[in-house]
Amino acid sequence: METFDIAVIGAGPGGYPAAIRAAQLGAKVAIIEKEKLGGTCLNWGCIPTKALIAAAETFEKIKHAEKLGITVKGASVDYSVMIGNKDKAVGTLRSGINSLLTANGVKQFTGTASFVDRNTLEVNGGASVPASRISAKKIIIATGSTSAMPGFLPKHERVVESRAFLDINKLPASMIVMGGGFIGCELACMAAMLGVKVTIVELLEDILLLLDADVRREVRAHMEKNLGIRVLTGKALEKISADGKGVKGSFGDETLSADLLLCAVGRKPVTDGLKLENAGLKTTERGFIEADDYCRTKVANIFAIGDVTGKIQLAHYATAQGIAAAENAIQTKLHKHDTIVPNVIFTSPEVGTAGLSEDDAKKQNRAVKTGKFRFAGLGKGIATGETTGFVKWIADATTDQLLGAAAVGPHATELIAEAAAAIRAELTTRELGRTIHAHPTFSEIWMEAAHALHNECIHAPPKRK
Amino acid sequence: MATPIIIPKFGQMTEESAIVEWLKKEGDKVNKGDILFTVETDKSVMEVESFEAGTLLKITVPPRVNVPVQSTVGFLGNPGEAIPAVAAPAPAAPKKAEPSPTTAPAPAATVSAPKSIAPAAAPVAASVAPLPTPAASSLFRISPRASALAKHSVIDATRIKGTGPEGHIVEKDVRNYLQQHGYDKLRISPAAKELAAKEKLDVLAIQATDDSGRISVADVERAIAEKPKPMSKMRQVIAQRLTQSFRDTPHFYVTVAVDMTELIAYRSQLKAAGAPYTVTDFIAEAVVLTLQEFPDVNSSTDGKTTRWNSHVNLGIAVSLEQGLVVPVIRNAGQLPLLELSQRTKSLAEKARAGKATPDELSGGTFTISNMGMMDVESFGAIINPGESAILAVASTKPQPVVRDGKIVVRQMMKLTLSCDHRIVDGALGAKFINGIKQKLEDIELWKRLAA
Repeated sequence: METFDIAVIGAGPGGYPAAIRAAQLGAKVAIIEKEKLGGTCLNWGCIPTKALIAAAETFEKIKHAEKLGITVKGASVDYSVMIGNKDKAVGTLRSGINSLLTANGVKQFTGTASFVDRNTLEVNGGASVPASRISAKKIIIATGSTSAMPGFLPKHERVVESRAFLDINKLPASMIVMGGGFIGCELACMAAMLGVKVTIVELLEDILLLLDADVRREVRAHMEKNLGIRVLTGKALEKISADGKGVKGSFGDETLSADLLLCAVGRKPVTDGLKLENAGLKTTERGFIEADDYCRTKVANIFAIGDVTGKIQLAHYATAQGIAAAENAIQTKLHKHDTIVPNVIFTSPEVGTAGLSEDDAKKQNRAVKTGKFRFAGLGKGIATGETTGFVKWIADATTDQLLGAAAVGPHATELIAEAAAAIRAELTTRELGRTIHAHPTFSEIWMEAAHALHNECIHAPPKRK
Repeated sequence: MATPIIIPKFGQMTEESAIVEWLKKEGDKVNKGDILFTVETDKSVMEVESFEAGTLLKITVPPRVNVPVQSTVGFLGNPGEAIPAVAAPAPAAPKKAEPSPTTAPAPAATVSAPKSIAPAAAPVAASVAPLPTPAASSLFRISPRASALAKHSVIDATRIKGTGPEGHIVEKDVRNYLQQHGYDKLRISPAAKELAAKEKLDVLAIQATDDSGRISVADVERAIAEKPKPMSKMRQVIAQRLTQSFRDTPHFYVTVAVDMTELIAYRSQLKAAGAPYTVTDFIAEAVVLTLQEFPDVNSSTDGKTTRWNSHVNLGIAVSLEQGLVVPVIRNAGQLPLLELSQRTKSLAEKARAGKATPDELSGGTFTISNMGMMDVESFGAIINPGESAILAVASTKPQPVVRDGKIVVRQMMKLTLSCDHRIVDGALGAKFINGIKQKLEDIELWKRLAA
């Protein structure tokens, strides 16, 4: 039996950085992956959706290019080429991970891992390959999550979750998206931009409920008015059926029908087959593996990171956890992973948030001030014709500390990076406002919003009290 | 003419009080019987009702200022009515941190009376950190430029030695001080510095915990949490009285283990029959009976004379969120068991609700402190000033003990008597505590008493 210092289960955005970091620190490392390197993020999540959304946005721009003086006639969409392009991008990145793991001397195993005891794993590579066993001093669980498919949904090719949706070669003429979270909304926007008639059904009172009301109002208005997406909220989609002709469901008294139903109601942890009990580990009631801020589980030599820990289900959070877990598994001095986590949503318009939201502040009874500035007041925004949305700072009312930020509008997912760095550095809005920002850029908007918080905007009239 | 509102005198020993909170604002309508404000005495927090109806015209004494009892603290009347030009009562405590004698000379109090003590300085005047020696405020002189620099740097200027005329701190002194204390190497986040300035902390006294050595908001928050805070009046009285007792009274301790097996069984029997006695009730009764057998224990001394108390005034310690009070059952020796039980219960409830009057919380001659519900093996208590002993009751637990040469499991409870050695010698202490033990183990006695 081969022995390692560190074994990582799962080669997603949490697992493979953990393996590489452990190898950098001199450990002998094994990584076990049952499907494809890169996990959900690279193969069926972040990356492929961004390839498709980029193409959809280009098409959307072409459709509206006339007002900029560009007339394009006969622009059309070949969705199968888009899918091919997406697969190519994914393939390139996947081989990149493979060479990085190899270059760092990480030994790869293909198959499903299960615990024999707290130091031993069995890797089962399928019927044709005999199972092998490896042992490791420390084990990092990074098995991730998978789309939840409620049991009441009919099993039919017209009823899909996000992963299967990304492999369909032909777009439907119409679709119903069940679930108004960020996955549902991103794919709804993408499809709508490519001409699909989209209806979103959300059980709760609004879509994108993790966002502050002003931010989600901006997104929803654009989705409804400019992309023609129908958004239905506050009631469940019921009596769902599917046959060769299409899918049907009822929302209150209304019957909805479409060619396809995309289910995006959340993700559940993957622990099947891990045989956690052999290591003395248990999952929580909801199926997650509990891990502390140092990524330690209840068993001393076992760590857990990423979606399977049920904290924040984001690739970059898993990466931060993965690096912390590798360091804590090898070094004696423990490190917590960082807690300022930017969150990006590739809807149209895009959204980026970091730190505390206004809703969070209210829940914590924390006195905050906010400063807002709209892209419509920004030179670059008007020059490029991208004037939807705003950014806002959320700052401590007494010390002026930047606690949180939200951006909705053009390049919001890129713009949030500055905000995250500023919040982590514990800057005040005055410091941020004094920082010189290049003109004309979209990032200037952070400076303007910092001025707005003190009612000292150069490019907005003073607010009357 | 507006009617003055008077801060009442609670109990005989209270000389001064502070308003904790005004429950009415200036301009509020007040009905007869409405609660105007709450008052902190050295025993508890009491509510003060209005004896008249009207409008609260003026508040002349804000919360947290100590004033002599019977002072005017505000005025009630009809809106627009003239308010007499009365000077606010002189605060009973000086504003500065310097120690000073209390306002009134202590009355010729009985031994058990707590002395009025000087309250701590108001929070504003409290000095910040225990590091270098901050200058006494009267000697502290600083030039405006130096003061501005110290404020801008978020440091405590009182720690700086002045070299200007008459020890004046000048800008140069601040610069030298900053250099000597490595201010140029100090790393702090902007928000952390802002917070430290707001809280009047000295950034040089704050430790960074992060690997980077940069002081973060979390570090400043920690320093804020570590700042000395004034104790409540109740806590101050506890501190003062227990220190006095522990310093002035030579304590010694005697411990016995009591077999509670039969009494606990009998108690369950009584409970099932509808007589809900507590274990504390039995202990209290055993103590009262034993005190009557050993009157010397029910005495007190000032070191020159002893004073015997003809009545047993039994104190039973009750823990509250903010501290500890000892409601006293007067003439406990005259009460039958059932009444003793009821009085104990009602007084403890009153004390927990903060409704016990100062007179119900003083005048004890012997105290019981029961930590039975806290899962403790044994402990020793500190004698209340003015008493000569206190009984500490620990948890009752199944223990292996030897009976007739065999090891058996019995429900055992440890009692520890703390004695004032000036009055109670070892032999007396031992006899006294064994008297309690024998009574608790004598099941026939309880059958008689509880019948």
